[in-house]
Amino acid sequence: MKAFLLQFFTWWNGQTLGTRFYTWRKGKLVGTDEAGNKYYRDPKTDRRWVIYNGVAEASRVPPGWYGWIRHQTDVPPPEETYVPREWQKPHLPNLTGTPQAYRPPGSLRNPQPRPTVAGDYEPWRP
Amino acid sequence: MTKILINGRETDVPPDFTLLQAAESVGIEVPRFCFHERLSVAGNCRMCLMEVKGSPKPVASCAWTVRDCRPGPNGEPPEIFTATPTVKKARKGVLEFLLINHPLDCPICDQGGECDLQDETIAYGMDHNRFYENKRAVEDKYLGPLVKTSMNRCIQCTRCVRFLAEVAGVPELGATGRSEDMEITTYLEAALTSELQGNVIDLCPVGALTSKPYAFKARPWELEHTESVDVMDAVGSNIRVDTRGPAVMRILPRLNEELNEEWITDKTRFHWDGLATQRLDRSYVRVDGKLQPASWPEAFRAVAAKLDGVPGSRIAALAGDLATAEEMFALGLLMDRLGSPNLDSRQDGTKLDPALGRASYLFNPSVDGIEDADCVLIVGSNPRTEASLLNTRVRKRWRTAGVRVGMIGAEVDLTYPYEYLGAGPASLAAIERGEGDFAAALRAAKKPVVLVGQGALTRPDGQAVLAAAARLAAGDRADGWNGLGVLHHAAARVGGLDVGFVPRAGGLGTNGIVQAAVGGRLDVLFLLGADELPSGTLGPTFVVYIGSHGDAGAHRADVILPGAAYTEKNGTYVNTEGRVQLAKRAAFPPGEAREDWAVLRALSDVIGHRLPFDSFEALRAAMHKAVPHLAQVDVLPKLGPESLASLGRLGGELGREAFRNAIADYYLTNPIARASKTMAECSAMAVGMLQAAE
Ligand code: SF4
Ligand code: FES
Repeated sequence: MKAFLLQFFTWWNGQTLGTRFYTWRKGKLVGTDEAGNKYYRDPKTDRRWVIYNGVAEASRVPPGWYGWIRHQTDVPPPEETYVPREWQKPHLPNLTGTPQAYRPPGSLRNPQPRPTVAGDYEPWRP
Repeated sequence: MTKILINGRETDVPPDFTLLQAAESVGIEVPRFCFHERLSVAGNCRMCLMEVKGSPKPVASCAWTVRDCRPGPNGEPPEIFTATPTVKKARKGVLEFLLINHPLDCPICDQGGECDLQDETIAYGMDHNRFYENKRAVEDKYLGPLVKTSMNRCIQCTRCVRFLAEVAGVPELGATGRSEDMEITTYLEAALTSELQGNVIDLCPVGALTSKPYAFKARPWELEHTESVDVMDAVGSNIRVDTRGPAVMRILPRLNEELNEEWITDKTRFHWDGLATQRLDRSYVRVDGKLQPASWPEAFRAVAAKLDGVPGSRIAALAGDLATAEEMFALGLLMDRLGSPNLDSRQDGTKLDPALGRASYLFNPSVDGIEDADCVLIVGSNPRTEASLLNTRVRKRWRTAGVRVGMIGAEVDLTYPYEYLGAGPASLAAIERGEGDFAAALRAAKKPVVLVGQGALTRPDGQAVLAAAARLAAGDRADGWNGLGVLHHAAARVGGLDVGFVPRAGGLGTNGIVQAAVGGRLDVLFLLGADELPSGTLGPTFVVYIGSHGDAGAHRADVILPGAAYTEKNGTYVNTEGRVQLAKRAAFPPGEAREDWAVLRALSDVIGHRLPFDSFEALRAAMHKAVPHLAQVDVLPKLGPESLASLGRLGGELGREAFRNAIADYYLTNPIARASKTMAECSAMAVGMLQAAE
């Protein structure tokens, strides 16, 4: 019931009713990524879309699916032997607007001192 | 003079004027990229196109002289047009071609806001692009620690190539390839070695060559400009100090035809990071062998306690290479009040003496006068490091008139050929006896320059060398021409000699003061930014250091009174020609530091010898009263050859030792330059290069 209400009243959680209907009519499931986001494709028009598992936030598309959903590649990750590099980091959600948002050192909300910039001088100390 | 019609207006111009200059002489601005007044004409950018009546095509006005124009069929004066639709269209086309391969870098380009290409595009640019091909890509070149390249932006005007080959005299840049594939390069990916290379940054009409230390630090419109003079050498180049808030962001040349034209040396241009490092920003007092931070009153009291009851003869003062005339004047007054005759501004111990008259320590032929010289003799100096811009004048004279240059001293690369006459005073004596070809040329010259460096004057026989040089300069010369040119390399030296900051009767000079200090015959020694002392120890003397940077003097000091660097105070500097120039304050001294004259004034009060001025203006007025010629700002003193005879009679035996040049490391000659990271890098590179060459 909650899922239905969310779908009915919000656009930022997973899918809206319209998307659900469209997906039901045209969509062919291509795969699911590690976060549970589902990727669909319309075989006729090659339209590609994602239904997020939770908050709709474009940055949640992982790198492997990124290329597919933006038509850079036609092979979706499940069909290729894609191995993430060891330096790839797990997804970090966008923190703007939250208390964890980035504040540069020297900002009023960051107690760290301001880094020295061109205007400062280096004093001599004996 | 030739008659010519410019846009229907008749004017008279010299026949060797180019059309561009002719148009400019009647106030018409002509766009240009490759043309530069002080470089040869290349005529390769085609931005300056104009229409000449009778010529089927527009012509490049920078490469077309008035003499080249043919008169009309009935002998009418030639006619040129600078603003017809054809001209406008031609220029627009040229600019469009230039922009085909110019990247859209303006938002991230350091030249943005002061770029010739931007400006001309506003006037002649297309509003849209007709080219959809890829732009060409050029690899950036490495030109050393000072000049940053972004070669995609280069429009091949070749100004940089021409500057290095013609003015700087080190043809290290060149072009490879043709048309679209043309690239400016050093061929070897080697750093430029010129001490004037920074000027290519100003010359480059686009952002292809920019300043590496200043890269991405500021935008031109955020900066405040202060017109000042340079203190890195004694030429006194006119500079503009650009500041943002309290920080000096960069230093640019200011036009002065008589002095630096529009160039400055790299030391002048790039030492500014030294103004923000190693700064003395609070007073220190040495307690139990360690310098401890102190307040101003505490520091003053420490000095006063030390001075209490000390006789004047056991007090001394030395002024450094960057001190202004006002400070030295004030310190001189203070020393007089303390009853001390021991004071000296000649830190290097040069044998010049104001008692011999002003003409005995000035560069009398004047920098501009070198362009009239017909024979130049260099004695014990490397003008390329001691006064680079003066050296470019000699080079200019050699290029335009093939002036004969003779050299006595160390054999160095001066960027122009010279006749090497010997290493020591013996060769000087030989010339005086008239031996050799060059001696005859020097005798016959109407406007000779005998350039004597500090390397020849700081020796024990300095006065004898000066006398010999004066005798060589004297003779049958052009009217009023004084060929004796004493070359200084410390900005404060002439000012110090002018205000008479030299030992009073019976007092000790620099060497005497140092010996007395080492020998324990001195109780208190004031150092006004004097960091170039021969021995770092100075014995048990109580040293009071007034200065801006933590250098040798501060390390030895017992009390440090923080002063201002030259960009942070007003002051008078006198250059090697005797030209009085004013430095202006561009920023404030850091922390608790104060302007040096104010420090001296406050100190004088505490030690009970209050100096008679309360403001800088009062001090300056007092100085002008005591030394009237210091009030004649920006005037070249024209001192005739009268004093040469008496100078030539000065006694002394010439030594046997070869002359040694005064400057060992061009990039590290004063406390500010020594504090600068850029200069340290340049110095390391120069040293490395020397080793590689050996
Ligand atoms: S680098 Fe600058 S000065 Fe040199 S040719 Fe290119 S545009 Fe001209
Ligand atoms: S300024 Fe005349 S061709 Fe470049």
